Amino acid sequence: MTTTHQTGPILSVRDLTVSFGRGAGRNIAVQDLSYDLLPGETLAIVGESGSGKSVSSMALLGLLPPRSANVESGTAMFQDKDLLSLPDAQLRGLRGDRITMIFQEPMTSLTPVLRIGRQLTEALIEHKGMGQADANARAREMLALVGLDEVDRRMRQFPHELSGGMRQRVMIAMAMAADPAILIADEPTTALDVTVQAQILDLMRDLQSRFGTSIILITHDMGVVAEMADRVVVMNRGRKVEEGPVADIFSNPQDHYTRKLLDAVPRLGAYATAAAPRSVVDKPTPVGKSLVHTEGMNKTFHEGGWFWKKGGGTAAMQDVGFDLNAAETLAIVGESGSGKSTTGRAVLRLLELDSGTVIVDGMDVRGYGKAGLRQARRQMQMIFQDPFASLNPRISAGRLVAEPMVIHGLASGGELQDRVEELFRRVGLEADHIRRFPHEFSGGQRQRLSIARALSVNPKLIVADEPTSALDVSVQAQVLELMLELQQSLGLAYLFISHDMAVVEEMAHRVAVMRRGRIVEIGPRKAVLNDPQHAYTRALLAAVPVPDPDRTRGTLPVIDAGTLPMGALAEVAPDHLVAQ
Amino acid sequence: MARFILQRLMAALVTIWIATIAVTILIHLVPGDPVRIMYGSFQTTPEELEAIRVRLGLDQPIWRQYLMYLGRLLHGDFGNSIVGDQPVIDILMTRFPSTLALTLSSLFIAVVVGMSLGFLAAYKRGTWVDVSAMVLAIVGVSMPHFWLGLLLLFLFALQLQWLPVAGGDWRSLILPALTLGLANAAVLARLTRSAMIDIFDQDFVRTAHAKGLPKSIVLYRHALRSGLVPVVSMLGLQFAYLMGGAIVVENVFAWNGVGRLAIEAVFARDYPLIQGFILFFAIIVALASVVIDVAYAFLDPRIRYS
Amino acid sequence: MVHGTTAELADDLATNGSARSRGFWRALLASPSGMIGLAIVGLLVFSALAAPLLAPFDPLRMAAGPRLDPPSAAHWMGTDDFGRDVLSRIIYGARLTLQIGVIAVGISLTCGLLLGLVAGYSSGWTERILMRLVDVLFSFTEIVIALACLAIFGVGLTNAMIAIGIASIPFYARVTHSVVLVEKGKPYFEAAIAAGAGHGRLIFLHLLPNVIPTLIVIGTLGVSTAVLAAAGLSFLGLGAQPPQPEWGFMLSSSRDLISRAPWMMIFPGLAIAITVLGFNLLGDGVREALDPRQRQR
Repeated sequence: MTTTHQTGPILSVRDLTVSFGRGAGRNIAVQDLSYDLLPGETLAIVGESGSGKSVSSMALLGLLPPRSANVESGTAMFQDKDLLSLPDAQLRGLRGDRITMIFQEPMTSLTPVLRIGRQLTEALIEHKGMGQADANARAREMLALVGLDEVDRRMRQFPHELSGGMRQRVMIAMAMAADPAILIADEPTTALDVTVQAQILDLMRDLQSRFGTSIILITHDMGVVAEMADRVVVMNRGRKVEEGPVADIFSNPQDHYTRKLLDAVPRLGAYATAAAPRSVVDKPTPVGKSLVHTEGMNKTFHEGGWFWKKGGGTAAMQDVGFDLNAAETLAIVGESGSGKSTTGRAVLRLLELDSGTVIVDGMDVRGYGKAGLRQARRQMQMIFQDPFASLNPRISAGRLVAEPMVIHGLASGGELQDRVEELFRRVGLEADHIRRFPHEFSGGQRQRLSIARALSVNPKLIVADEPTSALDVSVQAQVLELMLELQQSLGLAYLFISHDMAVVEEMAHRVAVMRRGRIVEIGPRKAVLNDPQHAYTRALLAAVPVPDPDRTRGTLPVIDAGTLPMGALAEVAPDHLVAQ
Repeated sequence: MARFILQRLMAALVTIWIATIAVTILIHLVPGDPVRIMYGSFQTTPEELEAIRVRLGLDQPIWRQYLMYLGRLLHGDFGNSIVGDQPVIDILMTRFPSTLALTLSSLFIAVVVGMSLGFLAAYKRGTWVDVSAMVLAIVGVSMPHFWLGLLLLFLFALQLQWLPVAGGDWRSLILPALTLGLANAAVLARLTRSAMIDIFDQDFVRTAHAKGLPKSIVLYRHALRSGLVPVVSMLGLQFAYLMGGAIVVENVFAWNGVGRLAIEAVFARDYPLIQGFILFFAIIVALASVVIDVAYAFLDPRIRYS
Repeated sequence: MVHGTTAELADDLATNGSARSRGFWRALLASPSGMIGLAIVGLLVFSALAAPLLAPFDPLRMAAGPRLDPPSAAHWMGTDDFGRDVLSRIIYGARLTLQIGVIAVGISLTCGLLLGLVAGYSSGWTERILMRLVDVLFSFTEIVIALACLAIFGVGLTNAMIAIGIASIPFYARVTHSVVLVEKGKPYFEAAIAAGAGHGRLIFLHLLPNVIPTLIVIGTLGVSTAVLAAAGLSFLGLGAQPPQPEWGFMLSSSRDLISRAPWMMIFPGLAIAITVLGFNLLGDGVREALDPRQRQR
């Protein structure tokens, strides 16, 4: 990542201000933003949601919605031209040729009705005046370069025939085919699984050194920044708060906000030596006796047919089993489609298993009748991933928190009122917010509401399905802290479902790794995270970007999906089980 | 895709099958004795009524009646009309070409006018073009078919005398087709606009712009092609609505199609003819939706290559 | 509902309603379509209520003026072939029109909501069979179902209202069903199940309040469809019978006199079109007011 810069900046942005809306509803998204981009470097623009990091880059290319967004002032000099005052036709000539872009959502960023080949070649034909044959040859060359096999077949395929990772490779091939001077990558790996993310980041670095492209990398992920960036611009609420070489930003952040952001980032390895999550209360409740026991859980989802169920189907869970003790956290980690959420739902019997045993607090959850099940749900509550969708928009916050108590007949009248107020304070919300509706709260506050709701019936078990993955890191840190505190003072058991290894390390006593519906490794946190025995666990850990520019991730272990051991679990050390 | 088409064909068959059940039930829902209601007014003796009852199988249990009815249908026998005692299928087939000519030409008008208006409005979203197109569309949606027909008749046939009031040739088709076509164009314009607005907001349209493609290419190659998929999928229902609308429009313009026949049949309480019409209507609409679905499948590679 | 009382339920709906309703009315009046729609519908309701005060003549009185008299100071909209005052007939016609809208939409909304809710909530075989049936009926189109109903009941305005109500059930059932499916798929529904909520609570507290806004929208739009359909049936002679001052029927009796007395055709048609337009605009306005995402478009 060391490049010597003799020439001046390739792009220089000065005093860029962008607003949305007009009149009283005017909202400034970016204010007085200035930065330089040097040839061949990667400049990361970092910020949380609403920081203006994406808007500022879209503005450069004239890609903001023309009716609602206004570029109010500023210049952006690129090759002696000001991008912001360039006539449309000339800007279009640069776009997709000298300056290209890749986006966050590979699943929706390609046109569904056009073949890959067509989408790869059209910009070349448009900008470079290539013939179809030449453009095809170049497109094939690029597809091979981004690591896709069967290039001729890929050219004829449609986007829906490719996986998310493959589509992002196609997007990169498309962006790099014209040999651009600048590549703007807007959260290029946020929608991808961590192992795919690592491959895509490696690919981007490889292509950058090959083509000498300057990259503007827009991201919220400090791990990605540390791994990719030469220099960093930190943004908060539309303004640049700090700028500097990546090493300085991480080792010696000047601005208060940057420091806060870096402190909040969970770092894999930060708690590597501890056997249990850090204590946040004076006398944490010790881990107790067995609370949940599951065994041989199987579930296959069938695709809904036109009138009948279709045969086949995908196995979401195969022979899954684990134990969880009182006041303990078992984290289930895995990538999308691993079956981790299905497992959480099965424990609460939010879906019916094909076979298997689920025992919670000594009672067989699958054996309950309808009324019994509702009673049993007092013991086990759930916190959902999306704080925006998991609260009924038409019920007030106070009623939402009260609902489980009303259902289970635990309190009524003034007592109910007091209990709700107490719960609000308990999770760090103000009691006079009781009458508000969910849309009047921020994401972090809503997740606190969900937690208050779950706590209201004094459960023993909480299943938390990616409880912080929709939140900004600074908010995530607060919610995780709250969850630790509640566990240690109330003795809650958590089944903590997550894709984020660093978060898991912070929260878990024990860890289960799932892949394609099976647990491939399970054991105490130190055993699984520090001494992984299964090849997939190792790959997963190796792929996690390290938020420290001095430490490199190292090369990815090559895993062969076909030969990974996916059989029954065998004990390799006390309580440490690995698939054979 | 074969599987998809097979599924759609199956669905069409189910529609038709349910229609056969519905028309069988229909006759039994009429209060009173069906035979007496149907034939009672024609000075028939009780013996004759009994003979009809046996001939039509109305003395049998209802499931038996249904099976017999189904058997006759499979042989192309829709029964005989009460008025004139002619085979229902023959009457329907003589009248159907007129209705088909009317609906197809209206569909053409609706698609050309409605889809281009909706597309234009979506493309010029928020401008005066959009606003005036949508005002036009909501006025069009609110306009009763029959009143629009009468207005056109008054203006073009009576005042300007450009076109005949009635008759059988192609010139007399213009006004009814325009009436039915314009009314449905308004509906289609609204549907197309919202479908296209959805498309314009998609990530892949932004990608196409980011590639620096000319607006026209982004529009036609990326947006319009993708937008056609949901729009075409709405056409099956539009055709059904055109067939339904034809019933009214045919009566305004004295156009001799099956729609006018249906109203005559309801007035005459000619139940075999009513049954025949409903069944016939269901068959045509079901077949049309299969045709539309196949077109839809060809447009959408997600279906074409599965 | 196991422990929750109906009082609590009502309280829930009430707090929710008042908190949102102020914003709703402001948004409705801010949108041009909502305001114009509200004005037209208001005018219609007013003329229906105040018909005896507004109408210069008895709508049924023959020879209120000369036959086929063109619009004049005495008869603003002229007279018909029996010398009845067209304006008075149109004002009284508002009563019939409103009645049609309320009865037809009442029937289809109630039955459609029930069917869609049952199908959407129950899932499994009940849902499949119900919705397949609804889909098939839907593809028959409203007018054919209405014709079939009239073939059974016999012609007449009341029968026509009922027939139109029945004919639109499949549409309302489909909309309800799809909204229920969307709401059921949202995490808050699963969250309610996880909290231990029973059927009653799930349906009446969680699903219904989220389904109702959509039904208000389609119910408002549905009045326009019902008015159009009833006028159509009356025009064909299957609905209103002489001498009822029904707009569609008035149009149909103008057919043979178009060149001699175009006012007999123009004014009733205009009345229908404006009424339908009013409900369409109001429906669009309500939709925009209820759905902020639509408002931005």
